[in-house]
Amino acid sequence: MRAAVEWAGLAVVLGWAGFALAGLWAGPLGASAAGAAVAALVLARRGGLVVSGAMALLSPVGVMLPALALRHMAAAWGLPVAPFATAELLIFLAAYGLFLASAMGLVPVDLYRLGYAPVPVAAMVLAVCGYGLWSGALFLPLVAVAGQALWVAGLGSSNWFDHVLHAMLVPVVVVALIARAG
Amino acid sequence: MDTVALAILALGAMSLVLGAVAIRRDRPLCWQFALPAPLPATGEGRFETVLDYRPETGQAHAPAILPRDGGLSVVWFEGSAEAQPDVDIRGVDLIRNGDGWQVSDPAPRLTRAALGRALEPRQLVVTLGNTVAHEAMPGRFFATVVSVGGWAMAAIADVTMSPAGPVTARKLDLSPILNRSFLVKSPMLAYADGSHALPAYFEMGPTFGALVRFDAKGRVRDRRWMRSRRAKVIQPMIVPLDARRALAFLRDFDRSGTLWLCRSADGGQSWSAPEPTSRPNPSAPVAALALGDGRILMAANDDATAPDALILSISGDEGASWREIHRLSGPGALRYPMLRRVGDAIALVHSTGGKRGIAAHIMSASWLAAR
Repeated sequence: MRAAVEWAGLAVVLGWAGFALAGLWAGPLGASAAGAAVAALVLARRGGLVVSGAMALLSPVGVMLPALALRHMAAAWGLPVAPFATAELLIFLAAYGLFLASAMGLVPVDLYRLGYAPVPVAAMVLAVCGYGLWSGALFLPLVAVAGQALWVAGLGSSNWFDHVLHAMLVPVVVVALIARAG
Repeated sequence: MDTVALAILALGAMSLVLGAVAIRRDRPLCWQFALPAPLPATGEGRFETVLDYRPETGQAHAPAILPRDGGLSVVWFEGSAEAQPDVDIRGVDLIRNGDGWQVSDPAPRLTRAALGRALEPRQLVVTLGNTVAHEAMPGRFFATVVSVGGWAMAAIADVTMSPAGPVTARKLDLSPILNRSFLVKSPMLAYADGSHALPAYFEMGPTFGALVRFDAKGRVRDRRWMRSRRAKVIQPMIVPLDARRALAFLRDFDRSGTLWLCRSADGGQSWSAPEPTSRPNPSAPVAALALGDGRILMAANDDATAPDALILSISGDEGASWREIHRLSGPGALRYPMLRRVGDAIALVHSTGGKRGIAAHIMSASWLAAR
């Protein structure tokens, strides 16, 4: 079952990559068709070098990357999606950088290990819900609780942070910030 | 109240339920070490070399001891060179046969292709490295797996084996950096409740040693680190002294020329800052084993004038001083030792000839007692 969840996540993320590339030339319909084709190829060619290499690189895929991919595609189709504020992205980048540094032993506190323990995880998810309530945005609470549900069900990583964060968020956020600056 | 706020409140309520379920079923970890019983020093004193394997070409390195009925298996990684995309895990079985040992022919045990298929989810495996027995789960072992890049991009896979090869495997969830840069070298550590912990280490630029704890399903439940600002410590070799105290011997990746040591006084929950010892070390891992009578047996390259020699030493004062009892030398460097009890004897394995071969020795308790 863990594998099914991971493959679904990878298919969405790589399908989104196909959608984004095709979107440079085609409209939402053509881009979506390209994205769906890529996602189908991912699921069909799981044993192939490229796809199994992508899984090796990105696993555990988690919830956040596929959720962002779906969110971006929904926005392209004209659905109402509230963008993250620039300040939110900057604060996230700084906090996530600190988090990764702590996981590498560069600061004296190991924040990552909090993600194995039920009480800190429950507190963090509720804090994200509180932030969502304050800011009026559903996306982050949705990701946090979906990640908690998968974590409790034992589907995927035994660390909650792996469900709701991903190292690839760093380039994604940096590109988003650069695009805004331009 | 608008729809979004209501939806978030509903998510919050769901989170409360999920949190309650997780908290209710969580079992606190035991932090009391299990101590081994003393070895019975009966019978003839013997130290015998039971395996001296040298492949015709390429490298064979980092042997591990896996327990099995009637004896042990010795497995190692072998290929054209370390970290190359032709490295697989090979091994032999050593079965006690009367007074001697019967050794099977070296054969593949875990190939990259088979492991890639067994991994959940299936994924590319480029090369393999150090292995360690999964003491809590017979028939399983931990393998160092590289899918992308070099050792700094390695992960640890928990592999369930059958006679035909790997059945299932999953990578341990140990790092938020694409789950990368954790490796194994040293045997697991037993706790009083029957659970085990895995010594591991991180080496992506910064380095640290780690102690990994598991839940009842074998999933990672916690990790504690051994971190130094003065040395690049890796490959912790942990020896319990009593139910709460333990020593962790650490290799310095930076070649300070000495062995490093840190201590725990709370069952491994926290570790002191590593300090250099007076023991020379050519940036090589050591093996150590509590003998159950207060003494510690160590295999290490700790002669500064002969760094390729592997020296067996005993400490009777919790590692404060050491007495050499036996010396193994040549050809080439003898590295990556591992020690383990096998019935009423002790097995020692190591690589020979600068990663060009594998040796295994069996020493009886009487042989040790006489030294």
